[in-house]
Amino acid sequence: MHPYVRERLGLNYEMVDKYLVMRLRKYISDASARGGVIGLSGGVDSALTARLLTKATDNFFILVMPSKSTPKKDVEDAMELIREFKGENRYAYFEIDELVDKFSSLAKTEDKRVIGNVKARVRMVALYTFAQRLGYLVVGTGDKSELMLGYFTKYGDGGVDVLPIGDLYKTQVREMAKWEGLPESIYSKPSSPALWEGQTAESELGIRYEDVDSVLYLAFDEMRSEEQILSLTGLPSPVVRRVISLVKASQHKRMPPEIFRLSGRAINSDWRYPRHWS
Amino acid sequence: MVLRVELAQIEVKVGRVEENLKKHLEILETTSADCVVFPELSLTGYILKDLIYETFKEVEEAVSRVAETSRCAVLGGIKEISPGILRNSAAVILNGQVNFVPKFYLPTYGLFEERRYFQRGNPLRDLRVFDFNGFKFGVLICEDAWHPEPVEALARLGAEAVFIPSASPMRRLGKSLGIEDQWTSLIKAHSLMNGVWIVFSNLVGPQDEEFFWGGSMVSSPLGEIRAKGKIMEEDRVVAEIDVEDVRRSRFFSSYRDHVREFHQLLSELD
Repeated sequence: MHPYVRERLGLNYEMVDKYLVMRLRKYISDASARGGVIGLSGGVDSALTARLLTKATDNFFILVMPSKSTPKKDVEDAMELIREFKGENRYAYFEIDELVDKFSSLAKTEDKRVIGNVKARVRMVALYTFAQRLGYLVVGTGDKSELMLGYFTKYGDGGVDVLPIGDLYKTQVREMAKWEGLPESIYSKPSSPALWEGQTAESELGIRYEDVDSVLYLAFDEMRSEEQILSLTGLPSPVVRRVISLVKASQHKRMPPEIFRLSGRAINSDWRYPRHWS
Repeated sequence: MVLRVELAQIEVKVGRVEENLKKHLEILETTSADCVVFPELSLTGYILKDLIYETFKEVEEAVSRVAETSRCAVLGGIKEISPGILRNSAAVILNGQVNFVPKFYLPTYGLFEERRYFQRGNPLRDLRVFDFNGFKFGVLICEDAWHPEPVEALARLGAEAVFIPSASPMRRLGKSLGIEDQWTSLIKAHSLMNGVWIVFSNLVGPQDEEFFWGGSMVSSPLGEIRAKGKIMEEDRVVAEIDVEDVRRSRFFSSYRDHVREFHQLLSELD
């Protein structure tokens, strides 16, 4: 990562931790929910978010939802984290293959991308099932890099109530996880949605997260021109362009569904109401 | 002449005027200060968005309730000056009398959308200096402190202190809290340049996606932070502000040299 961006993305971890834990705690109570449910994959995003959730409330519930494409090491790491969070009585092991295979046979497809998204959506359904049963919210684990790139499944891992680390880039999440004392095997592990075997985020994107975050930060936080980004980062032009075009192409994934206006006061276009409206 | 001021750094609920009023009254009943300064839109919450259209109606009644009990208080509310025309205002309560001071600069950028809802005040009509027990103060709201003229105008109208009820949301939390550094710089600079006390009372807590960071502070006319509220938590801070400090700072500054021609020039520029 370029030193300039590294410097700008530096964090006062203690303050960020205090802030995010407090916000999560207040969000849960303002929503009149009793706690939070989270899916723990063994990756850094869900590990950090779960750490914050367990600090925010004793009422947490963890789901481990492996499929055939989940590396064994991820499941082991998730189980180790559950022990660390003293969550042995507050988790469920929920294998999704049977449900996913049913969708696959009913829809007559084995396309790995279609099935990959089914996996993410089945997990979403599982999370909401437990959340409603317990009176909890679904705590999402997406980070800013993934949200900006659109590197998530719409209504899958994107289908959550709140995104506590949604304003932290992947590289910041890794640093923060390290500061939180999470195991090195978690924060130094290559990021992967594990929707099919061997999938890793950086190989699929074709770009390292250090570079992704540099471009995202310079292009969208600092609103720099392509020329400035190229000269600041030294990255090849196609890489910079690809990152920017991924953000633009995925805008629909970050928005509520479009409503075609007829009336004088349409819901998305005219309404500006706070989330807690009462 | 010394005034004890309380900065009531409170968390309020968006749109719940009755609940918020109760909190105001509790603080006013228990304060040890002469005058209590609440944050901007403290009765209604700041991130009201379209809830403004229903919430504003409850403000005047709430302000009257405070005026029945408090001798000196500054609260944040909304004033309808004619049907459908709303102003983000500070209600200044002095010995049972209520005056509304409107905000002059309405932030409409980034997360802010005040011009969608509010009309700005006119400094020629609305800028006022109040007198409480011989202590002269003016009131400005949040964004007004991001410009040099409002504080200077109040100082030259005779204010010895400027109370700034604010609703500053957390931004730029990196290695330090960037927004706190910026406000501290502004507040110190206003006090130093004008030889006045600055009393910044900020909201705290979450409202929709935003989070108000607190950190209310009092700066002396020499630009020293004399009192400071907690960051990200509710707090009640009491400070004594003394006219003698105003006098001492102005003896040794060029505040007396008001070069009016700069303002003539400014009046012709965009």
